[in-house]
Amino acid sequence: MRLRVIKAYFIKEMIELIRTKMIMMPYVMPLLIVILFGYGIKMQVTGVRTLILDNDNSQISRKLILKFEHSKYFTTTLKNMSEKDALREMKKANTDAIIIIPSSFQKNSLKGVKTEIGVFIDASFPSRATTIGNYIQGVILDLANDFHIDSSGVININTRNLFNQALRDEEMIVPGLIGMVFLIAPAIMTALLIAKEKEEGTIFNFYSSSVSKVEFLVAKLSAIFFLVSINIFIVFLVSSYLFDLPFRGSFFLFWLASEVYVFVALGFGLLVSIVSSSQIVAIIVTLMLTILPSFMYSGMIMPISSMSGEAFVLAHIYPVMYYNHIIYDTFLIGQGFDSSTNILYLLLLFGYGIVLFISGLLLLKKEIK
Amino acid sequence: MKIFFTIVLKELLSFFRSFGLVFIVIYFFTAEVYVAATGMEIEARNVAIGVVDKSAGGISKKVLSSLHSPEFQTSKYYKSQKELSDAIYNKDIMVGMIFDEDFEKNYYKKQNPTINILIDSTTASQSLMAIGYIQNIVMKFNNLKLPVELKMHKLFNQNADTKLFMGVSELLSVITLLTTILTAIAFVKEKESGTWDIMLLMPVNPKIIILAKSLSQIIIMMVGVSISVGLILFHSLDVPINGNLLNFFILTFFYVATTAGIGLFIAAISKNIMQVSQFSIIIMMPIIFLSGAWTPIYAMHPFLQYLSIFSPLRYYIEGSESVFFRGTEFIDLLPYFSGVLILGIILYWYGFRKIGKLF
Repeated sequence: MRLRVIKAYFIKEMIELIRTKMIMMPYVMPLLIVILFGYGIKMQVTGVRTLILDNDNSQISRKLILKFEHSKYFTTTLKNMSEKDALREMKKANTDAIIIIPSSFQKNSLKGVKTEIGVFIDASFPSRATTIGNYIQGVILDLANDFHIDSSGVININTRNLFNQALRDEEMIVPGLIGMVFLIAPAIMTALLIAKEKEEGTIFNFYSSSVSKVEFLVAKLSAIFFLVSINIFIVFLVSSYLFDLPFRGSFFLFWLASEVYVFVALGFGLLVSIVSSSQIVAIIVTLMLTILPSFMYSGMIMPISSMSGEAFVLAHIYPVMYYNHIIYDTFLIGQGFDSSTNILYLLLLFGYGIVLFISGLLLLKKEIK
Repeated sequence: MKIFFTIVLKELLSFFRSFGLVFIVIYFFTAEVYVAATGMEIEARNVAIGVVDKSAGGISKKVLSSLHSPEFQTSKYYKSQKELSDAIYNKDIMVGMIFDEDFEKNYYKKQNPTINILIDSTTASQSLMAIGYIQNIVMKFNNLKLPVELKMHKLFNQNADTKLFMGVSELLSVITLLTTILTAIAFVKEKESGTWDIMLLMPVNPKIIILAKSLSQIIIMMVGVSISVGLILFHSLDVPINGNLLNFFILTFFYVATTAGIGLFIAAISKNIMQVSQFSIIIMMPIIFLSGAWTPIYAMHPFLQYLSIFSPLRYYIEGSESVFFRGTEFIDLLPYFSGVLILGIILYWYGFRKIGKLF
């Protein structure tokens, strides 16, 4: 390894990146993803368009309707129409839930006879339907409390939402997105830069020069590493200020883990570039290997502890889970270096990166096939 | 007309000769849709739950026995609250339940015993749903004699099965991305190798060439969609079809033509394949974002709601979901048809002008 050569190569790479405007890539794409997805993914359901058909029109039924109207979860419309027409409204996707209050509602409920309230929910988006169902149940239960039912001996639940008390979507999603973009952006950049040389034939300069494989890789990768490292701070600022995330852990751990993770991502891209001969193949293969798995196996949508079988194994093979654990910890949980799991995962990531880098180094051939 | 079909045939031939592209298209239409549908679970399933039980254990066991699969794993027992919260901090479990010493005593004395529940709420929707499940279970356990009963019907997807929804929506995103990129590549490839100038210099109307080239890509997409719908959606994922499938294909044809128009525009502004991939990401992301694929449109910021009128994907998603799940009739689908059609004509016309102007 000659430092002089590496420095020269590094400068050459930088100039090339600036000339081809590729220098924008490690900034534009990650920020675009974080901002769009951060604002875009809403797991909490509010403003459910609810159509209420009140066939009773009594005191209690109006009380029930009032409860729906006052809840922030529902936007209610009260209409006098037949069930069939209401269903057609739902088929037109104009309403999410229909609540039908039967005509003898007040009479029966005062007598203590069971009455049935019909609820229809549009389940084309299944998880939203489940949540809406839970909300409606909550409102009805709330109404029942007004009836002064004997509630002694009833088990109460006292729920504490740890780490994210208000259950804000941003706090759940944005840290996971950070784990996604710091994998995708460096991997695509690396794969592209090497595949580009192959496609344009400039890789022969490297084949025929006295630059060694290590020098070539160190110079190329450190250029990308340097650019993405700056982005670590930008993404941090965006998530803290734009999305108003709390930061409860150690910043040093966040920074260190991110750098190590970017190193892993570089190794990913390196391996992809070895198998792909053109830029377009490099892009598509990296996207295939990164986007979907970093959603599925990151613990962002589905917690690792709920996984079973092959998904559990794959999640542990894939690096995102380890980084995400640390990121969620630094942003929301705040154990920092006190937690042995954090340190173990950090070391695992580091080892992961070394293995990828060395296998990339061994597989890269400095000769014509 | 003969020239037109010759060019279409030539394009199809050159598509099938590039092995990589064929492989990618097949991959996205089959494996990608399947993996996304089966791998993503938004509902809470198999939740890991931990328990600290300091009560005598009679009632608490009864409550715990109603937390079962598929929603919950068998509960793990911890000795102290400290151990329990450590397990949550390390994400070994997602939900922790604590039964106090006097839980059972209070229960028999009818003094409202309390279960303390700790939830790791870092995991998106699953924590929300786990809370909902537990509340329902305890409510059932309480067996309040309510005079009111809810008769809940989940229409169109009785068991709230996520994979049906994920399969359809993944197919729609695949169609969006592939059409734009394939159309753009079909033109830019020629630009890169310099044969585009030759094409334009031929004694053939350039308009016919552009139309024929984009039609060839539309044909490829339609074949891909048919394979994906038949093989993956219906055969592997058991997606219901409550409406008329023909409506879906007509809507798809219009939509593919619309995105082909976007592809033409991207092809016109990019010099090489690298730029195609960059521009398509930058242009397609907002279109997908504004379509309501992730957030229902009525829940968006009012300004974004206006913008979403311009996303053709919005009409396509709602229309396709209506055909597959809601079983909407043709008359009620007309807004979606007209939305896609109007945007399609504008976008295609614009892309058409843009790429034709080059010489």
